Amino acid sequence: MDNKIDLNNSKNEGLENVPMQQRRDFLKMGLAITGIFAGGSMLSVASTFNRAHASDFAKKYPYNPHYSMVMRQDRCIDCERCMEACVKTNHVPNVHGAYRTTILEKETPDAIGGKREFIPVLCNQCNLPQCVRVCPTKATYKDKSNGIVMMDIKKCIGCLTCQEGCPYNARYFSEDKKAVDKCNFCIDTRLASGEKQTACAFACPADVRVFGDLSKQDDEVFKLVHQIEKTVWVLRPEAGTRPNVFYTKG
Amino acid sequence: MTLRTLITFAAAMALTAGSAFAASHGGDIIFEKPVKGVIFSHKFHVEDTGLSCEMCHSRLFEMGRTTQEKADFVMESLYQGKYCGACHNGTLAFASNTRCATCHIGVKGQKRLSPGANHEKTGH
Repeated sequence: MDNKIDLNNSKNEGLENVPMQQRRDFLKMGLAITGIFAGGSMLSVASTFNRAHASDFAKKYPYNPHYSMVMRQDRCIDCERCMEACVKTNHVPNVHGAYRTTILEKETPDAIGGKREFIPVLCNQCNLPQCVRVCPTKATYKDKSNGIVMMDIKKCIGCLTCQEGCPYNARYFSEDKKAVDKCNFCIDTRLASGEKQTACAFACPADVRVFGDLSKQDDEVFKLVHQIEKTVWVLRPEAGTRPNVFYTKG
Repeated sequence: MTLRTLITFAAAMALTAGSAFAASHGGDIIFEKPVKGVIFSHKFHVEDTGLSCEMCHSRLFEMGRTTQEKADFVMESLYQGKYCGACHNGTLAFASNTRCATCHIGVKGQKRLSPGANHEKTGH
């Protein structure tokens, strides 16, 4: 018998013969498309019959410290001191499109006295990073001790698939390093030498960026993410990457 | 010259003199200190709301673009009624801890207002 698979004439075997267990496993994959919301509960896009909670994830991703950032978005006034501090600290080249962090602008003409909102964005150090998944040379990886998505620039071949895959436009190609670069929470430039904050968080005059450790219950970031009174959200939860940067107001 | 030409010329002079008078209020001020991208519009405060010069310039502000050099030109001072906070306290005008983007146009807003801004092509 010819063992070659003829793709042009293959039949759709249909769902009737898929075992119940496989169907259940498939539906549970719906839990994989989630984001952490206020109160620490997870919202599943696909299913509601099985709710997962952030504490389940804390067991699965036991980073210590689990670096994370909360943006208090209503305070951002686009003074861009954070961007200047980042460029200076991390030697980001002065090239159009090269940034480790930037401020997005959203017009709100219908708001009372409404003008616009400013939204700081940076690498979300995702828990399920798409960039790590697609890198052909393992030049980028999730640091198992602190959760930061790191770059090993020796291995980067500049294919830019990670840049394509990032839902947050966090990556850029650095001509200086001849490799892709992105925010790494200043791990090498500040945190490793004992600083408690990233350069951007330190520079912000309005306390927009709260940087901290999600694994410590007395940490400011932990409290902001897990309180239930004010809404906390993530950007683009539908991308399924489970980001570690959260947004709130108030 | 005919009388009609003379009257038209005089009217044009008066109009330009009038607009020159308006610009002499001080125009738009964009503060860069302590943070960049903060706008104050004389046109709005004088023409649209009818404030007179002494209302601000007798006590609250000096003329001549010196306010941004003051070390206490921070939001906390506004909340205590200094500078803009004298009116922007929620009673006379919107409170200074609301509607931030009215004045805080940001670096992006400042760039849009700067001359030559239209030459910048913002791609993507």
